[in-house]
Formats: sequence, structure tokens, C-alpha cells
Amino acid sequence: MAEMVKLFVNGQEVEVESGKNLIDALKVVGIEIPHFCYHPALGADGNCRMCLVGIEDGRPPIVPACKTPVQAGMKVLLDAEHIKKIQHDVLEFELINHPIDCPVCDQAGECSLQDYYMKYSLDDSRMRVDQVAKAKRMDFGCGVVHDQERCVLCARCVRFTRQITKTGELGIVNRTDAARVTIFPGRPLNNRYALNIVDLCPVGAMTSQDFRFRQRVWFLKKDASICHGCSRGCNIYIDHHREKYKDDIIYRFRPRTNLLVNGYFICDAGRLSYKEENENRQVTSLIEGRQAPFDETIAAIRQKLDQARKPLILISPDCSLEQMWAVRRVSTLYGASLSGFSDAYVKAGDGDDFLINDDKAANRRGLELLGIKTDRKSFIEALQKTDLFVNFNNDLHFSGVDEEIDALLGTVQSIAVCSHQRDVFKTASIILPIASYSEYGGTIINQDYVLQAFAKAVVKNEAGKDMLEVTRLLGGAVIDARHAWPGIRKSVACLADVDPAAIPAEGIKLQTGEDANVGA
Amino acid sequence: MSDRSQLISTGESFAFDAERDAEFERLVVRYPIRESMIMPALWMAQEQAGWISAEAIEYIADRIGTFPAKVLELATFYTMYQLKPVGRYHICVCRTLSCWLRGKQDIVDYLADEIGIKPGEMTEDGKFSFEEVECLGHCGTAPVVQINGEFHEEMDLKKFKALLATLT
Repeated sequence: MAEMVKLFVNGQEVEVESGKNLIDALKVVGIEIPHFCYHPALGADGNCRMCLVGIEDGRPPIVPACKTPVQAGMKVLLDAEHIKKIQHDVLEFELINHPIDCPVCDQAGECSLQDYYMKYSLDDSRMRVDQVAKAKRMDFGCGVVHDQERCVLCARCVRFTRQITKTGELGIVNRTDAARVTIFPGRPLNNRYALNIVDLCPVGAMTSQDFRFRQRVWFLKKDASICHGCSRGCNIYIDHHREKYKDDIIYRFRPRTNLLVNGYFICDAGRLSYKEENENRQVTSLIEGRQAPFDETIAAIRQKLDQARKPLILISPDCSLEQMWAVRRVSTLYGASLSGFSDAYVKAGDGDDFLINDDKAANRRGLELLGIKTDRKSFIEALQKTDLFVNFNNDLHFSGVDEEIDALLGTVQSIAVCSHQRDVFKTASIILPIASYSEYGGTIINQDYVLQAFAKAVVKNEAGKDMLEVTRLLGGAVIDARHAWPGIRKSVACLADVDPAAIPAEGIKLQTGEDANVGA
Repeated sequence: MSDRSQLISTGESFAFDAERDAEFERLVVRYPIRESMIMPALWMAQEQAGWISAEAIEYIADRIGTFPAKVLELATFYTMYQLKPVGRYHICVCRTLSCWLRGKQDIVDYLADEIGIKPGEMTEDGKFSFEEVECLGHCGTAPVVQINGEFHEEMDLKKFKALLATLT
């Protein structure tokens, strides 16, 4: 715990953490200092002048809050007339050449310039000269579209490409009112994190080709979740909306800050993976290609499992811990072999040293801790012996066709319990649709053994059931996610003290046997 | 100031000649931060070719080990760097506050109406090119005109016309 210091804001005493700048420290206690260029991931730049605050008896008496560390006894002025005038004047300056096209701007509703104008200015423009015209709809590459006229030149985007991705594609060229953000001719954005620029931009200058004009942000419901795109487990917001008489659709993923896992950013592939939650979903139950009611399909699966001599159950490494536990219980119930074989989810060499991991499985550590085998040899042996193969949403074709396994699958009767329509499930005689991760809640453990919880976000019209509901109907003892935990706690040492309802937002760094020496 | 970021490509690769190559290596060790060499390198490229092409900027970025966009920032910020071919006489008219208040617009209008060149343009015979620039640092003797690097202070239209007449 950092040391606390007492200081005064507008004469009121507040207690804040030391070692932070005024913007960050006062934000924690609910005091907003307006700013454009400062961002905790990019550091203080001091170029926008919006965060200037007064320091009573200070030398100098007016300082940028982003570059000013908190000090005990400091007397900060935010609502003095001369500070209000600075805020007002900086906004007037920013708005001289701004097109004020909020009605057609995607940023409207989450725009700093718009919000600050409403809060600190509200004046008509005094300008009687023509505005400086600059380029609009510039394709910067990687799905980033730039509007030079909306830009406030805070340089967050430029600093992001230099400090974070170290690719340096962007720069601010010219000076005075001709200054603008641009790319070097013929060298567009070319990195796997470029769309973070759209989030970083405090105004509507950077928009996403994918999201722009698709939905007004104030209609979006923003639910916290975890990206299931790889074993990093980046924290995200799922922004979704149900238009009247239509279905609940996800419009975008945005990064959610978690310093323990992903910091402030997510990769572009993960960001765009929201599309997979919308598209290609399995929504109908099928028996031998015939559409069948859900209950009948469940009964058919039960019957097959009862009749099978040696069933084999395969589970997806993306499943939640609770689902894995419930499927494990079901496999015991029917005397089935259980595998979490998922070599296809590993794309060797795809990862980098920032956020992207080779392993595209969200919860492989879960399989490991629950003692579910994932090796190819035992899976193939079990597949050779089995007379009924039940696949719980494991995409064996994730990295393309696997001929050896496909040949074996061709000889055995199979059942697919799946969220998406995929090649690998097509051969199944019975197909049962289930919910995908945006539609249920649970816990997963990332590559670095951080246990994180996520909640249900999306409610589909034709909702697939949670896998836990399916396992319960198949006779499993686990009623819901909470009910899985007494068993999980007993079975996994490092989870023995975990209360799933009390997992903090940043997750819990688990102390596993091999990891205990490394430290948190 | 107009937009200077529309670079011109020569279609041919650029490299320092032997003399400037040696000069680059002599200077670069002076700077603890290698990127500080961008500005001297831009000067050398301009001396060599008369102006700075897109290829020259890429060459400098590679040579120094920085991003081309960063070199572009500096090349476009400072109007002393020519990003396209200039005339025999390159006229810079200061457009910052003092010069603007003291009548730089008369000179700019004269160049547009009588000589036929707007900011950023060159006469067809290649004699004059003209650019409006930011503060030249001689606000006390505004308005200021700079021709091929030489300052002419306390200008007015009459003096400016007389000055142009001396240029052959």
C-alpha cells in the first residue's frame, strides 16, 4: 500500500496516494481534471495545456497537473476564476478549426472535447475567418481511419506507435494551424495493436473502419468480460445492443484496464474476435440432420451415453473452470474417458513479447489444474477404443484438418455439444447448441496462473444453453457455476481458498507448485 | 504555412556522396542521442540535391536508425528545409504576428497578382519561388522577407519591388 498524503483541493482536504501525479491521484477520490494528452500508459507530455491547475502560494502558481506529483499540504485550485478561464480558453483554441460535426461523428457520446465543452465552455465561436481545411477519411491502415480536422494534436497516437508498439508509423507534420497527424507516404500502420489508437484518441479523429457508423455509443450496453482469443485473458468490455425486435448483437470489444494481465490495451485480433460471437452460431438441435426439440436431443444423448461401451468425452480448452469440472463429473458418471486434447489451439511462433500468446486456448491452465489429460497419444488411444465420441465444443480443426484424427473420427459415432457451426462438428449424428463465452459467466485461468471471473453479457433470442445446464440434464451433479466450487476447491490445492464470488476485478495470481518460487 | 507533408518522390534512390558520407560519420559521434543527427543530416541532403525528396528522408531515417515519420516531422516543421525544387531566388515571407500586423499581406498579394506565384509555387522560368514561413525572429523590424537565406527587414511594397528589380 502506497503512502497517503493530505492535500487541499479548492480548500477541501483530501487524502490521496503519494507518488502519483495530480490527475491520477485525484481521479481516485472522484475529482476530475480535464486533459487530452495525458494517458497513464503513455506518460505526461504536457502539450495540451488542458490540465493546468493553480497551486496556491506555489512557484510557479500555475502548473500542468499531469506533470505535477502530489505533495503533502499542496493547495490545488481547480475552480478559481483564472483556472476556469484557462480551461475555457484552451477549449476555444481547440475549437477554432474543429468541424463540430458531432451529429455524424462516431466519437460523440465518448468524446473528451464534447464533454469538456459542455462542462467548461458552452460558448459560441467568435471566429469570423475561414477554417483551415485538412484531409478527412484517411486510410491509415490496420482499419484505422483518420480525420485530420477533428484532431486536437495531443499526440497520444504518435506516442503509442513510438513507445508501445515501437513501430513509429505516425508523426505530427507541419506546425501552427497546419499541423496534423499523418503517416509517411506509402508506410501505413503495420502492427497488431493499431486499433488501440482509436480508443486512445480522446476525440473523433481516429475511428475504426470496423465500428464506424454502425451504432451510436450511447445505445451500447457495456459489460465487463475476458477475451477468449488466447491464453493471455485480456480484460475487455463487451459493447452490445439489442435493437427493437432484433437480436442482441455485439458491436465491439474494447480493452478494460487490468495491470496484472493486459495493462491498458488488447491486440487487434482479440478486439475483432467479437465477430465470432455473432456469426456462424449453432442455434438448432439436430438428430441425424433432423431438427429436434432440445429436450428430445438431450434424451437422445443420454440414451447413447447409457448404451455406449466406452464413451470418450473431449472438452474444449476455452471452457470455464466450472464447465470443465462439470464435464469431468459427467465423464465419471458414464465411465467415459476424458481428454482436453487441443494441440490445434497452439499456433507456434504467432505470439509476441507483449500481449499475444502462441496458445489460443483461454483456459488451458484449468485443464492442467483439474488433471484433465491433453496429450495427443492418450487421446488417439482413447479414440481408437471408443464407440461413442462426445465433443464438448473442441475445435479439432482450429489449425486446419488433422488427417490422422479425422480418419479415426470417421469410424466412430459422434455427438457435438457446440456453440458454433464448424467443419469438425458436421459429422456428428447429434448436435446440441450451447452458449458461447459472452453468454455465460464463469472463471478461467490464464497462462500466468491469474484466475479471473467474468459474467454473462449477451442474451440471445435463440439462446443456447450454458454447458453447465447441459451437463446437469445429462445427470451431472453440478447445478450451476457456484455449485461446482466445493468440488473444485477440494480437488485443486491452489484453489482451496478461493471464493468465486469474491474474485477481485484484477483477478488472483495463483500460487501453484511450479510457480510458487517465481513469486507474484 | 501551407501543408508541407506532400513529399515528392524522385523515383531514384538517395545516398550521401563521399564527402557528405564522411561528414555524417564525423558529426554523428557528437550526439549522445543519435536522433539529434536528423537535422544536420537534412541540411546535408539539401546541400547535396538542392531540395529534400521522399527518398532522402527514408535514407536519413535508415542511416540514423529512426522512423521515417520522425524525420518527416522535423523536415516539415522547419521551413528552411526545401521539400521541393526551388527557384534561383527563394523568397520567404514571414507570416507570424508582427509581420502580419505590419503589412506582410501587401507583399504576398503583390507576388500573387503581379509575379503570379502563391505560397508554395514557383514561376515558370524558375527564377522565383515563394513560401510563407513562421517567425523568422526579427519581429522588431517587421515585416521581414528572406531571400536565399538573406534577411531584408522593415519591408514595404515599394522597397520590396525595388529589391526584386535588383535580382537578375
